[in-house]
Amino acid sequence: MAEWFAPLRALFEYVAEFPSSIALRESLYVMPWIFVFHVISMCMFAGTILMMDLRLLGIGYMKTPFSQVQRKLFPWQMAAMLFSTATGLALVWGNPLNYVTNIIFWVKMLAMGIAGVNALAFHFITEYTLIDWDAGQTPPLGAKLAGAISIVLWGNVVIAGRLMPYALTWFRE
Amino acid sequence: MEQLAVDIAAWPVSRAINESSWIFALVQAFHLLSLAVLAGAVLMVDLRLLGKGFSNQPTATVARDARPWLLGSIVAMVLTGIPQFISLAPKEYESTYFRWKMLLLLVVLIYTFTIKRLVAYAPEGRFGGGVSAVVALVSIGLWASIAINGRLIGFFGV
Repeated sequence: MAEWFAPLRALFEYVAEFPSSIALRESLYVMPWIFVFHVISMCMFAGTILMMDLRLLGIGYMKTPFSQVQRKLFPWQMAAMLFSTATGLALVWGNPLNYVTNIIFWVKMLAMGIAGVNALAFHFITEYTLIDWDAGQTPPLGAKLAGAISIVLWGNVVIAGRLMPYALTWFRE
Repeated sequence: MEQLAVDIAAWPVSRAINESSWIFALVQAFHLLSLAVLAGAVLMVDLRLLGKGFSNQPTATVARDARPWLLGSIVAMVLTGIPQFISLAPKEYESTYFRWKMLLLLVVLIYTFTIKRLVAYAPEGRFGGGVSAVVALVSIGLWASIAINGRLIGFFGV
């Protein structure tokens, strides 16, 4: 194990000793239901993000100006993100040692981070030109790129999320 | 029926899926990705019916725009659902959650292509806000309960 990783691992091991973490881990019904709510909120988040990305790519909801797609979906995206973050944190809190050495977990975290940067880059750069293409049928390259990158990254997040438990058998330490 | 489930699980293709360490996992992953697309397509229309969506367009326009993604994701869900079923057929068959999921799936498909379709594609203003909202909430509730039962199969059902 790389040296720089040791503090991170120590942190996860520290959390694992918390009574709340132990209680979550040992609960028969709480964890499965947190998983359920994580999946539901993920669907709401990824679903509304992906539909917006289709508009950015110029292949979906073309009768609606992008600004309206963005404005109407934003509150749902944020609410769903809060909910899936909260349930996701609870899942890690309850089983930190299952995640800290799980390569697929870190791939998912990295993809989420890059997706966040992509969204901010779009917001601070490409969106300034929005007035030129808002209702147009061919979004500019910058918008298409932002949409395509978002689909790839969030698709990666969803897939990695489902594959995570398999990492324990696929990649042994 | 029980014997049929056992027979299905004994098919070479079912056993291949079950014995592979990655086919089943990847199929599950793409099942979930298709679910996200499905949720998006369903929500675009349901949010519009709730008066929270793309309100500059008639609901019928939004529904037509969402349609390819709705149909495509339903097909993808079925195509990724079948391999999961055949590789675990006896266990799925016995699972209460799986049975509920299939029943609700049948209900939501009929509902989506009859009642919801009728309301979503009606001329603007034909149905009041109350009716539209109820139609949307039933749709969201049905799809969510299918997802919930689907997730629970893996925990308690098998």
